Amino acid sequence: MMEKKIAIDSLNMNYGSFRAIEDVTLDILSRHITALIGPSGCGKSTLIRCLNRMNDLIDGVRVEGRVLLDGDNIYEPTYDAITLRRRVGMVFQRPNPFPKSIYENVAYGPKLTGMRGKDELDYIVEESLKKAALWDEVKTNLRESGLNLSGGQQQRLCIARVIAVQPEVILFDEPCSAIDPVATQLIEDLMAELKKNYTIVIVTHNMQQAARISDYTAFMLVERQGEPGRMIEYGDTNAMFTNPKDERTERYITGRFG
Amino acid sequence: MNVRKTFHQNLEDLYLELLKMAGATVEDVEKTRKAFDELDAETAQEIIEFDDVLDDFTIRIEENGIELLATQAPVAIDLRNIIVIMRITQHLERVGDLCVNISKAIKSISGKRILPYVKEDLSEMFSRSERMLLRAIEAFKKRDISMAEGLTTMDDAVDRINRKFLTGYDRESEEEIELAIRVVMISRFIERIADHAVDIGEQVQYLVTGKFAD
Repeated sequence: MMEKKIAIDSLNMNYGSFRAIEDVTLDILSRHITALIGPSGCGKSTLIRCLNRMNDLIDGVRVEGRVLLDGDNIYEPTYDAITLRRRVGMVFQRPNPFPKSIYENVAYGPKLTGMRGKDELDYIVEESLKKAALWDEVKTNLRESGLNLSGGQQQRLCIARVIAVQPEVILFDEPCSAIDPVATQLIEDLMAELKKNYTIVIVTHNMQQAARISDYTAFMLVERQGEPGRMIEYGDTNAMFTNPKDERTERYITGRFG
Repeated sequence: MNVRKTFHQNLEDLYLELLKMAGATVEDVEKTRKAFDELDAETAQEIIEFDDVLDDFTIRIEENGIELLATQAPVAIDLRNIIVIMRITQHLERVGDLCVNISKAIKSISGKRILPYVKEDLSEMFSRSERMLLRAIEAFKKRDISMAEGLTTMDDAVDRINRKFLTGYDRESEEEIELAIRVVMISRFIERIADHAVDIGEQVQYLVTGKFAD
């Protein structure tokens, strides 16, 4: 049974008087990977940031429509943004470990939520690093700074940091655009593993990455300059990349864009 | 703006190469028909030798197609186009092989007399198959599904004539029997040329709709 984890319903998002995305309706299925693709400025990063209310932090942002997480609208005034961001974790374009040890990077979130016991923290650090496919590389130097790791390792450390607070959804915003191809493949493999337990949404400007790793793909586009980004096509990734329904999708993914 | 100009140029080159091969294959079939009309062993030999040209086309098209698949990660219509070009080249190559088979048969019955009505029937099959092949290639060029679909009906006529040879041919002497076998084989080879035209039509359907024909 395909379970809906997030339902985006008629979503508009405005920066002041500028409408960035308009009328996006999309279901994100539980324990699958959904990729958002589209040219620069199409609103895909804006959309993914709507899913854990990251845009709240920007002045003048106004959201219309609903985003339901397990049926509850996260834009209800009473909805707690802190809880939301623990349930919906995020990994960013550039790896951004804290200037702390590898161990502390991962233990940070659990400590914030009140976890204190050393055994408990040790366990969760090890488990999170294992799930992020980093444990074997760092288990002997957990006290070293996270900033001494390679870019790809730092990105996996950030994934471990997200996993440590036991989220249900992980958002990836261009997670591989700042790391090398081999590290990218590691992260792609890791995502395939993670989707067994987590719902994953990824924004990527690498179309082949979307094709390789995602189960569903959504294509967004700004049709004319100044217009908001809209969802053009959403569907099964294989179908999208062999036989897209919409001509605009076809033009974009085959490089005959514009 | 096209952001994949080089790739799309390479794809266009692959397409044009296939059209060249298609043109050469149609000529090959036409020449085979003429060789049959005259039971001309010399022309038949030329057809046998020409097969290398078609084989080279196939190798070139397949190699370039594989290279584009491996290096360009094509998707959507580009992907289907490469797949279909690579499949059509194989069908054309098989048509070339059938022309070789027919030519070998022509050589072995050269100088013998085939009954006029038999010859007429075979000529009829030949020209129908030729027309089907042309139509299949045209459907591919125009990406025209209804044109491709018409091939199945055209194929029925070829099949009907082919079946006649299995039952309705007089066999009197031993020599006649050998001749009859050759004629039945030629009929069967021509019938298969028509089948390849139908198969090419099915590829056009896949190219346009992304769905495989039944």
